[in-house]
Amino acid sequence: MMKKMGMSKKRKIGGAFKMVLLLLLACLWLVPILWLLVTAFSAYPGMSRTRFFPEHWTLANFSRLFFHPDSILQYGRWFFNTLIIALFTCIISSIFVLMVSYALSCMRFPGRQGIIRFSMILGMFPGALSMIAIYFIMKSIGLTNSHVGMVIVYSAGSGLGYLIVKGFMDTVPTSLREAAKIEGANELMIFIKVMMPLCKPIIVYSVISTFLGPWSDFMFARLMLNSGLSKDWTVAIGLYNMLDKSLIGQNFSAFCAGGLVISIPIAVLFVIMQKYYVEGVTSGSTKG
Amino acid sequence: MRKKALALLMTCVLSMTALVGCGGNAGGSNETNASVSSGSGEIQKLDEKAAAGAIDNLVANTKDTVQLTIWASEMDQEFTQTLLDQFKAKYPSVKFDFQLGIQSEAGAKDAVMADPTAAADVYAFADDQLIELINVKGLTEVSTAYTYDVASANSASSIAAATYNGKVYAYPMTGDNGYFMYYNSSIFSAEDMVSLDKMAEVAKQKGVTIGYQKGGWYLHGFFDAEGTGHYAELQSDGSTSCNWNDQVGVDIANAIIQYAKDGVLVMADDSTAAEAFKAGTMGAVVSGTWAAQSYADALGSNYAACIMPKFTAGGKEYQMTAYLGFKLIGVNPNSAYLPWAMLLAEYLTCEESQVARFQARQLGPSNVKAASSSAVLSDVAIAAISAQGAHGTLQRVGGNYWASSESLSDILISGNPDGQDVKKLLDDAVDGITAK
Repeated sequence: MMKKMGMSKKRKIGGAFKMVLLLLLACLWLVPILWLLVTAFSAYPGMSRTRFFPEHWTLANFSRLFFHPDSILQYGRWFFNTLIIALFTCIISSIFVLMVSYALSCMRFPGRQGIIRFSMILGMFPGALSMIAIYFIMKSIGLTNSHVGMVIVYSAGSGLGYLIVKGFMDTVPTSLREAAKIEGANELMIFIKVMMPLCKPIIVYSVISTFLGPWSDFMFARLMLNSGLSKDWTVAIGLYNMLDKSLIGQNFSAFCAGGLVISIPIAVLFVIMQKYYVEGVTSGSTKG
Repeated sequence: MRKKALALLMTCVLSMTALVGCGGNAGGSNETNASVSSGSGEIQKLDEKAAAGAIDNLVANTKDTVQLTIWASEMDQEFTQTLLDQFKAKYPSVKFDFQLGIQSEAGAKDAVMADPTAAADVYAFADDQLIELINVKGLTEVSTAYTYDVASANSASSIAAATYNGKVYAYPMTGDNGYFMYYNSSIFSAEDMVSLDKMAEVAKQKGVTIGYQKGGWYLHGFFDAEGTGHYAELQSDGSTSCNWNDQVGVDIANAIIQYAKDGVLVMADDSTAAEAFKAGTMGAVVSGTWAAQSYADALGSNYAACIMPKFTAGGKEYQMTAYLGFKLIGVNPNSAYLPWAMLLAEYLTCEESQVARFQARQLGPSNVKAASSSAVLSDVAIAAISAQGAHGTLQRVGGNYWASSESLSDILISGNPDGQDVKKLLDDAVDGITAK
């Protein structure tokens, strides 16, 4: 009896200790985000290093972003540009990924193994390696400083990211497809009518991941959008330019506000698709 | 309409070249115009005719839309746009398609070098980037003068900054880059500001600090001070020669460390200094004209500026120096409309534009006529940088200068916290700076 009590006491203390540690870590991680959050509402436009919470609170930073654009700060425009690029990339890439995965998972054709191996090797190279080559190719066909060009580049290589989706499709019983085939369905019908409804979680996963890429991309956008025209920029490039050393004093809290705003579409996307997302990530990984 | 514009242009050209051409002429533009009967005036007049004829030809031969991309800094957007609109209005018979892009002068080199053929046709840049921009074929030589003679209209130092191998490659736009001291005139008197030692004494009494910014750009002020015999100079192979690690250098380093250890000299940047000025904890700071507005706001009626002070090292007094910089306008040789690009560059940097730029943006002119106007001279910060011009150096150092001098400045201004051997610190820094 005594021993048992000691045990549970020990366990309680250990548990409490764990909780305190976790709480501490959580605080550490949340402080920068909290700082971003409160600075976005600061009436002082620059970066205050003497106080954490702003002296005066305001919503002016947000209204400045959307309703008072100037020659540099055209946040609404950037937001729209990025949204368009991300949406089209998302649609095209998702279709690519799903089709490639279907072909490699459900169809048997000569060279299938070779393609899988080759794409594995291709995927091992960092994408940044090809950036400069891509830039000159796009320039030669006049697609730099163009949002169409960016959508093309973002979605062109997306088929290579098929592994997780293929893993998910491998778990769908073959008998379903065979049954459909016996009923007279061709591959396209099987893909659309049979596989797609079963693949909902993984579709959600690929939609989110293909949307996030261009939404937060900085490196490639900076390379492609080199005309210096603010109206062409994406949010990432715009935010970067807002923090030029001559502008930081008047832009920092607006920059924080801008940083908050770009997280909204991502957050909305996650909230809507959360249920499927977790399912998709975990089920895709069970079988590779 | 076109004739009228042409006539207007002719008059403009006439008065312009007459103004800058006859350097010793003290009279106003009207009188100068009237005195073209003199011998030199005749030659001048012929040149102007030729120049105006060139513009006339250019206008006549331009059939399609002139497409030019212009890069101006973040802060210069609105002002540049008004100049572009005025330029369009000057040539009403020509169709222009101007795209005004945003590119800081400091970053122009990187943006142009990334792909000169995709860079803007006309762009502003800082003069230290000149040689590299020429090497990547990002700059056209200024070979034709349409409306004014660049070399004689601008200050000698600004032309030196735009010249490479005896050829002028850019149009000087401003002449106010460099650093000097901003100070709170209720804490320091103008006499205090002559000597850093006096400043330190007063600062200690009143419990305030003196801000010094980090990095090799500012550290130059101490190490290359007048009378030290020090230099850090760009060599033809792109490396930097430097002799900071002699006994004088050790004395200077020890002096900086001592100021820092006394709690007088502290590391600051423009935003921390403005806050400290507001809070009354800082009495003076090294900075440049770009921060004038924020310091003027922070200091209110106590806002004052002066040249870099003298300081004592190893028992000797040295006058601190400063790097001087100029903003230049360059024309990209890849431009499809090169003559128009050059004409536009001239317009963006002519005397009228420089005066207007000062009025709109408080940027000090490089044009000698514009710089001597009373409005320009009455500006606190611009007056300080002009005075600093007598104690300044053109910034010509190689790429290896920056990292080593910055880490040296970090250690010295923070008071050598690890107590490292000063001579060794300087040797290491010079090794880094002079590395090939």
